[in-house]
Amino acid sequence: MEITLTHYLVLAGAVFLTGMVGFIVRRNAIIMMMCVELMLCSTNIVFAAFSRVHGDGGGHVFVLMNFAVAAAEAAIGLAILVEIFRRRRTVNVDNFKALME
Amino acid sequence: MEGFLFWFCGTLMFLGGLMMVVQRSAVVSAVWLVFSFLCAAGIFALLSAPFLAVMQILVYAGAIMVLFLFVIMMLQGPVLDGERVPIKKGLWPFIALPPAAVIILLVGWVKGEGLRSLGDAPAPGFGTAEGVAQLLLGRYLLAFELISIVLLIAIVGALVIGKRERKLPWK
Repeated sequence: MEITLTHYLVLAGAVFLTGMVGFIVRRNAIIMMMCVELMLCSTNIVFAAFSRVHGDGGGHVFVLMNFAVAAAEAAIGLAILVEIFRRRRTVNVDNFKALME
Repeated sequence: MEGFLFWFCGTLMFLGGLMMVVQRSAVVSAVWLVFSFLCAAGIFALLSAPFLAVMQILVYAGAIMVLFLFVIMMLQGPVLDGERVPIKKGLWPFIALPPAAVIILLVGWVKGEGLRSLGDAPAPGFGTAEGVAQLLLGRYLLAFELISIVLLIAIVGALVIGKRERKLPWK
């Protein structure tokens, strides 16, 4: 059976779904951030697949942009997490009710 | 061959993501996520994007996940408390709503469009380091420069947030 664009899109959708469910269900803030990374990665697959269909490398450039955004997000998010952990001694999001304390 | 590689990498990538979600320990989760990203690199290679496959391994599976592992090991200890508390019954419909929306969209799209072929083999040079660099420093030069500013701001922001001191005025 030939592998079509639809196969890649369904794969990306399934991975995105996994990340989304994980983000909603888990309460460990670090694992929630990793679920966000998984969702970003699945969108990268969609970019690469459509880039291949159109024969235009623009999608690849935007995957690289996405890498940079993911790196920035991880750096800032983890810095905030470490700061919260210093004050509250927990990373369980159920305990984060106020921004300033 | 392409079919076998797609099913191999795709299934393992999905399972890696699933294991990442269900694992209790954050370190084990992170390692499963690295595994999932490695399989994603295989998918990129199948989509004739060898440069992206390499960058996926270097940047994602390498740099970003090492950052995550560092933080997990720094914060180890009471990290997992409260994860065993079950989710309130009344919340389940709201939790199921966004995934259901994605599933309906996906199924509807596949039903409507059917299987769409990937098309002819791409031109030589497509997706190699040279091909991507030509675009990055040509057509997308402005976006390339702007993303460097985003990274610079992220570095400064992480430094400012992570700086130790703080005699907070209200404490």
